[in-house]
Amino acid sequence: MNVMIDDETLDRQLREATPYIDDEGFTARVMARLPAAPREPRWLRAMILLGLALLGSGIAYLLGGGFIREGVTQLSDFPIWLLLVFAFGCGLVVGAFAVIVAVRKTPEVRDVARLRF
Amino acid sequence: MELTDADLIARVLADDDQHAFGELVRRHQSSVRGLLRQLTRTDVALADDLAQETFLRAYKNIRSFRGEARFSTWVYRIAYNCFREDARKRKELVGVDDELLQAEHDPQTVDPGLRHDLMHALSLLPLHERTAVVLCCQNGLSHDEAARVLNIPLGTVKTNVLRGREKLKRSLAAWGPN
Repeated sequence: MNVMIDDETLDRQLREATPYIDDEGFTARVMARLPAAPREPRWLRAMILLGLALLGSGIAYLLGGGFIREGVTQLSDFPIWLLLVFAFGCGLVVGAFAVIVAVRKTPEVRDVARLRF
Repeated sequence: MELTDADLIARVLADDDQHAFGELVRRHQSSVRGLLRQLTRTDVALADDLAQETFLRAYKNIRSFRGEARFSTWVYRIAYNCFREDARKRKELVGVDDELLQAEHDPQTVDPGLRHDLMHALSLLPLHERTAVVLCCQNGLSHDEAARVLNIPLGTVKTNVLRGREKLKRSLAAWGPN
């Protein structure tokens, strides 16, 4: 008389009866059909940068003259150690900002550090 | 260090990193194609077409993946929906193709004869029982996960798995311990 197999054996046999299906180009075919990643064209980036540079120049020109000259003159009257501290502080802020941007744009580093900004 | 599925999904979401998505496809292609082969009763070409469609949909809708379930569960659900839509369009399901069954690689641990009988018995189960058995017994999903994939009540999944198992056991009684 035949005895029915138990659940565990059946499940194991089902799993073992299903072989791993080799990729054989399947992933490449899927990748080829993926829609292109939406990304603004290079010329648009260049135009934005150029526009911002022109805008910045215009603002600097308009604000120039007395205001800027006065500020530089006052700064030159500061003691040298204060100017050094000021320059060092500015460097730290800009450096920290640059590191944050670099980490954000580098997935490998972000994954390792598990940082979320 | 190998990245987890969650890491890869985060990369796709943050940077639209298609290489990361490619890695997800590579990891899950076998199980998704295997599931679809079972659902289509071993029509390999149709199953692979549906698997491609599944991953394309997954890529387009990855922002709707909220990480509450495993990525594989979410992809199985898409695969099942693709299969259902295709079956509705065709209004018929293809029959068992013994040649295709035999063309697959023979595993080393299961007797080829038993494997053939098992896969044949599986293909003869009604679709709802076959799907539940493939998801839970073959792919290791919990009943709860399978219920989410199939969008049916938990009790129905349990019943389908139970009935499917019993039918398979009866079919394979000759291979049981004597």
